[in-house]
Amino acid sequence: MYRKQVRRRRAVLLLLVAASLTLLSVYYREGNAGPLHGAENVVSTVFAPIQDVSNRALKPARDLVNWFHETFDARGDKAKLEDQVATLRDQLAREQTQQQETKELSALNELTSGGIVPNGTTPVTARVVGRSPTVWYSTVTLDKGSSDGLRVDDPVVAAQGLAGKVTQTTPNTAQVTLITDADSAVTARVTPSGATGVVEPNVGNPNDLQLDFLERGAQIAQGQMVVTAGFSTGDLGSIFPPGIPIGKITTATVEEQQAYQRVHLSPFADLRNMDFVKVLTTHSGSNSK
Amino acid sequence: MILTPGIIARLAVLGSIAAVAEVVCFSKMDVFGTSPDVVLLVVFSLGVLGGSLTGAVVGFSVGLLMDCLLLETLGGFALTLLSVGYVAGRYRETVGRPTRGAVALLGGSLTLLGALVIAAIQIGTGVEANVSFLVVRDALVKSVIGAGLAIPVLLLVRLVVRSALVDERRGAQRRPTAPRPVEP
Repeated sequence: MYRKQVRRRRAVLLLLVAASLTLLSVYYREGNAGPLHGAENVVSTVFAPIQDVSNRALKPARDLVNWFHETFDARGDKAKLEDQVATLRDQLAREQTQQQETKELSALNELTSGGIVPNGTTPVTARVVGRSPTVWYSTVTLDKGSSDGLRVDDPVVAAQGLAGKVTQTTPNTAQVTLITDADSAVTARVTPSGATGVVEPNVGNPNDLQLDFLERGAQIAQGQMVVTAGFSTGDLGSIFPPGIPIGKITTATVEEQQAYQRVHLSPFADLRNMDFVKVLTTHSGSNSK
Repeated sequence: MILTPGIIARLAVLGSIAAVAEVVCFSKMDVFGTSPDVVLLVVFSLGVLGGSLTGAVVGFSVGLLMDCLLLETLGGFALTLLSVGYVAGRYRETVGRPTRGAVALLGGSLTLLGALVIAAIQIGTGVEANVSFLVVRDALVKSVIGAGLAIPVLLLVRLVVRSALVDERRGAQRRPTAPRPVEP
């Protein structure tokens, strides 16, 4: 009797492990239109309204826990912020003097670039309803999908800067792979130096990104801003329009630049705590905003 | 655990609620720089209460649902939670009913195991980006939070599946009745 139980237990375990490994392997090999992707989309679509309602209902509980964490953080940030206010006051005085000159330059710039939203794209506002619980999958789920005009590879921006891109869609939901995900890579430009490179994540550290493949001798300093490069060469082009702010250079040592052609930056967007994002769609849906 | 259709339905509802709550609520919470892995603790609790077979099957099903909700590679979370449910169940079958201290320790250790399985799957499928040491910190903090939450989650899950637990039934049968007052 006992042996029979052990045999049954082992058989079920082997079956489940084999099923998991088969799913992993088949899912990787099949295309986005494969049966497993299809089944996943169906389940996600069914649960989308439940996720949306639960997300709104559980927000007070979430906010309460985050409040404690933010209070601890705020105490540490106070002194740092006071220093920043003093520095910014000085900068403001200088900036006001330069403002007149900048106005003229901005007018010229507006003639050549149409802001970060390129012509032909429609920004769709979406709510973040789900988030992956591990640091390995840096993805979020949105409450808008292909029926709202969202397509795979559409760029996604948060309030402060670039958030990521759409990697999967169902009629009512979409998965966004954030710029902190292991699979993410964004061509970027440092301003004002103009040096270009590829922004890649440092998996496990959502506050640190790396700007790799910089040309040697590029003049990059701490505090400089990094924006999307949005290059296009013939048929090849970046999916991100140029000029979307990504982050600020935090570490740019000469040694690291010489040896690895790399500097570090912190993202502008608060990717852990964003509630709304804008998806820059190229195909407007039935109820896009 | 005695599995009747009613209990199976209860387990299905519990698993679905845990998976949805993890995706929409717990994963968005910021506790010491990481988020609590409550769905893993629910699977762990079911393993401890129901044995390895129940733990493995529930873990696999809840994991598959998580994969679907997050539109992630199918099988990733399924394999992780299946391992957690099975190991928790085997502990119960070989060592016996765990004490409170053992529950906390097991909850923490299995949260760490879950993080390791996910990491192994990611590394196995190829990670081209740099991996920060903060991944290790994240896993350790998660396991400490897991240790802290293991007992309350186990008590909560026990409440839901109480009627199916063999121990609870035996306990109820053995419980002595209060002596009647002697009438003068």
